[in-house]
Amino acid sequence: MILAPHKGRALIVVGALASVFMALGFRLFDLHVLQHKELSALAQRNRERVVHRQGRRGAILDANGNLLANSLPVRIVTADPTVTAPQAANIAEKLAPLLQTDVASLTEKLSSPAHYVRLNPRAKLDEDAVKKIREMKLKGIGFEDQFVRIYPDGPLASHVIGFVDHDHRGVQGIEASMEDYLEGQAGYEVIEQDRKGREIRALRDEEIGPRDGFNVVLTVDEAIQHIAEQELEKAMAEFKPQAGVIIISRPKTGEILAMSSRPTFDPTNMDAASADDRRNRCISDVAEPGSTFKIVVCSGALNEGIVSLNDQFDCENGAFMYAGRILHDAHPFGVLSVEEILFHSSNIGAAKVALRMGPSRLADYIHRYGFGHKTEIALPGEVSGIAHPLARWNSLSITRIPMGHEIAVTPLQMLMAMNTIANNGVRMKPQIVKSIVDQDGTAVFQFQPQPVGQVVAPRTCQLMTTALRKVVSPEGTAPKANLERFDVAGKTGTAQKVENGQYVRKYYSSFIGYFPASNAEISILVSLDDPTVGGAFYGGSVAGPVFRAVAERVAEYLGMEPQTPPTEVAKVS
Amino acid sequence: MKRNRKRESLRFGTVTKSLVACICVAVAGLGYVWQKNAIYRLGDEIKRREASLSSAQKRNLILASKLAQLESPVELEVKCQQYSLGLVAPKEGQVLRLPEPGPEWDMQMANAPLPPRTPTRQLAQAKQVSQPGTLVRQ
Repeated sequence: MILAPHKGRALIVVGALASVFMALGFRLFDLHVLQHKELSALAQRNRERVVHRQGRRGAILDANGNLLANSLPVRIVTADPTVTAPQAANIAEKLAPLLQTDVASLTEKLSSPAHYVRLNPRAKLDEDAVKKIREMKLKGIGFEDQFVRIYPDGPLASHVIGFVDHDHRGVQGIEASMEDYLEGQAGYEVIEQDRKGREIRALRDEEIGPRDGFNVVLTVDEAIQHIAEQELEKAMAEFKPQAGVIIISRPKTGEILAMSSRPTFDPTNMDAASADDRRNRCISDVAEPGSTFKIVVCSGALNEGIVSLNDQFDCENGAFMYAGRILHDAHPFGVLSVEEILFHSSNIGAAKVALRMGPSRLADYIHRYGFGHKTEIALPGEVSGIAHPLARWNSLSITRIPMGHEIAVTPLQMLMAMNTIANNGVRMKPQIVKSIVDQDGTAVFQFQPQPVGQVVAPRTCQLMTTALRKVVSPEGTAPKANLERFDVAGKTGTAQKVENGQYVRKYYSSFIGYFPASNAEISILVSLDDPTVGGAFYGGSVAGPVFRAVAERVAEYLGMEPQTPPTEVAKVS
Repeated sequence: MKRNRKRESLRFGTVTKSLVACICVAVAGLGYVWQKNAIYRLGDEIKRREASLSSAQKRNLILASKLAQLESPVELEVKCQQYSLGLVAPKEGQVLRLPEPGPEWDMQMANAPLPPRTPTRQLAQAKQVSQPGTLVRQ
């Protein structure tokens, strides 16, 4: 029992304690309820961090799985200037040689008012350099993961592969056209960190992993591409043309095995590449095709049954007056059959075949072969060429178009037209991407050869092949394109260039051929823009030998069985 | 006396129960702490392994690219010239082509008479003669 005098004191103590607990309770209520939002956000900011992880860009592979482009992880150096500012000059001096930059600009960045800066983002560091910087134990210096795009083959197939910009986005070639597949998806992690900023792995809240981009497998074969590039380089050195292209394809499927263009560039050194170097002339440049276009006229006329290979045409001894203008042949010819018109490449003969065919039919075949339309190859920058509609033809057009004037085509369009004849009249869509595969190599999407349509009948193609075989015979225009062990069918083209609206004494020399002629496996287009050395400019003498060199090496590489058995057989012991 | 004994036994029971309860709480508490520690330890282990996996993947990528660079036809040609290896493609006459066996070959093989069977004992003896060191299971 509490005595009366103590009762008052006890009440005071109880009251005091109650007040203290009430005050504490109120403070707790204030912190946990009234200020909950602000304080919990503050605590979360101190504890939690969102880390973004970039998905790796997919690789570009050739048909055999060889790497043509890949992304490698690198690091760039970052800094927190609020920490580095007092020691900026000292840190800058240590980092400048590794970051390949000057001390002054680095000092400026290290003492800037920001909280986070990237120190020379162009300097991509490998693990060794990162280790060196770590060993320096510099306060306020960190690293950011990035990727750098590498091209193991350097300039090989650079026009096909393309390149990426500083943000790792495709700008040209497959890098640009397949951007949606190649691009990786970024992920993020919400992590909790300790006092020193290290992650407490057990408390990781959210984790959405990055997804690497898909790999793109091309139809291009690295070795065949190398052959094309080497032979084109040799031709460039020998004939000194302004530009040149070689395209190698499979006529039956439309697969592009090699696509080479000069001048070229190295995607690993984009600063040295001009816009002219970067242009893929196989799909972006148009020119009058010249005599190679005679295949369109003759195949059309044969297909319509208007002429046969043996039908005779008077080639007027090299000068044919039509619609008030004289049409010339390179060499004067008398009466020639359609077959002879093709292998002697008579302009007058082709014009007369077209006259018999009529403009509407000719225009129809030009359209059916795909001229004036994009081939829809999976490469950016393709142009559709110029094929005027029939309404815009003048009285001379019917005699000029058959010899490849008044029309402009890309080298790829011309090759696909020749492929149509090689493929029994079925026009194929050119295919450069074989499949899209994930990082484990599982195919996500498989591209199939796509026939566009039957342009001419198989019988017409057989007749055309018969005539085109003679182009590489001694009496044809391209004996130098003939192969020893394979039957070749092809057509030469020597088109005059137009400058300031006038034809000048500059030429596009080209040859398009396929082999084995009876069952075409490979077709090759060689085109040189204005060969200036050696005096030769005819397609047969300039592009023909290049075709032969490429074809021989490609046949050897692919292990194609020769049609003519070798004269010397190895002894097997 | 009887009442006192009853009170004593009641106390003992309560104490035992309390003790058990305390031990349970302590074990649960210690278990919780131990589990928590294990979680953190495993978290650190996962983090270390993640870093090691990431590092291996990076290394793999770098090596794959180096390999691609070394296997590049341009690089191979340079090396061939550098070391004067004199490597050339075989001439057509040096290539021996073997016909791919087709369905006719399969039919021929299917209809071909089987070789006469050698008795197992003879076969074993023959093996023993040819390979004296080998053991033959009979």
